[in-house]
Amino acid sequence: MEQSLPTIVSAPQPSLSARLISAETHGVTQEFTRLAAGLGLAALYGLALGARSGGISLVQHALAASAGLAAVAVLGMPALFVLLALVDAPVSPVALLSAAARSLASAGFVLAGLAPSAALLAVTIDSADAVAFVTRAGLVLAGGIGLFQLTSAVRAMLEHLPAERRLKCNALLFGFCLFTIMLAGRVWYSLPILKGAA
Amino acid sequence: MTSQVFAVFDELLRSPRAIAERSRAGGDLRPLFVASLSALVLGAGVFGATLATSRGGLQLLYSGVKLPLAMVVTMLLVVPAFHAIAAGLGRPLSFSGMIGLTLAAAGRGALVLIALSPLIWLSFDRGLAYHPGVLLAAACYALAGVAALDLVLRGVGFDARGLVIVSLFAGVLCAAGGQTAWMLRPFLGRPSAQSVPFFRARESSFWDAVQQSSRSSFGVYRVTRALSKVRAEAGGQQ
Repeated sequence: MEQSLPTIVSAPQPSLSARLISAETHGVTQEFTRLAAGLGLAALYGLALGARSGGISLVQHALAASAGLAAVAVLGMPALFVLLALVDAPVSPVALLSAAARSLASAGFVLAGLAPSAALLAVTIDSADAVAFVTRAGLVLAGGIGLFQLTSAVRAMLEHLPAERRLKCNALLFGFCLFTIMLAGRVWYSLPILKGAA
Repeated sequence: MTSQVFAVFDELLRSPRAIAERSRAGGDLRPLFVASLSALVLGAGVFGATLATSRGGLQLLYSGVKLPLAMVVTMLLVVPAFHAIAAGLGRPLSFSGMIGLTLAAAGRGALVLIALSPLIWLSFDRGLAYHPGVLLAAACYALAGVAALDLVLRGVGFDARGLVIVSLFAGVLCAAGGQTAWMLRPFLGRPSAQSVPFFRARESSFWDAVQQSSRSSFGVYRVTRALSKVRAEAGGQQ
């Protein structure tokens, strides 16, 4: 008589990118962990830029690269929640935290992905202007992808609203995007490499 | 394994869709890695050496080694960026799948370069000068790049979002690849050069060269330090 032996099948572990960018909402602790992972990954881009000068510049750039995303999380997200609540949008704090963590983790992940190329360019290009342009391009790319993730997630929450309220929410979201761009830009402009540091 | 590798060579040229689907599905990608890397090294090596026929001698060996090196280093630098951009824009692929897709695309491009090598050789043999030769080489790279990007586009999806992802990736690839190749030049070797260096001394950057060429194409020439010194000396003698 054949007996089927129990087999141990391990479920495949989701990859880092899947865990960071997953649309699933987790508990508050997991969302904060995801957010922190995004900030840590953004610091890799800063380290790559800091390699141009080395030394303390590594730390300065790593901190400033993460700070741009952290500022959006700390200053921007509570404000967005309050504004959306004022127009009675069906957005819970946990859902918005999840959307923010996902978008900032995406931006951090893209910055980390750009880090090897950024290191090569920052170290080997002589012109300070050219390096500043490359740095800005990387920040705009990552910030744009993060913002795309955030607006997609929030708009999905507003899907079932009546047209008039959805229009108000979208207008607020548009204003928030402008504010976020200015805020992240303001913080990222503290990167020494953007001020022409050799 | 060897027969699988040869089958992948054929597939790289004939059915980019199948290669793209295999990269997306994951699984055992070793034959794809081996075939793509072999195609990349062989194709870029042959094309590099062919470019150097304009100069001959030691440059043949140097270019045959440096062009594959430039392409492999560029791949290593840009794959993480491609992986992150695709995931960030909602087309996540496993990291091994992304490496497979990128390597396969580079391998396909390199096979196109092999096909174009006889044209380059014949052109130099018929007396094509250095600057037109550079332009012809650039046109060959562009053609190979189109073949490679076609495969990448099939991998991320042939739609508007896929186009955006591939365009952003192409931007990163141009910046990193351009600078890597700039650092490893010369590949053709100037006919007037006395010796054949493995690397040229570090000067300026790919970016500066593009800016300078763009200005020159509009008739705006920057006065270099060397030129202003020559002018000053000429003025002093008058």
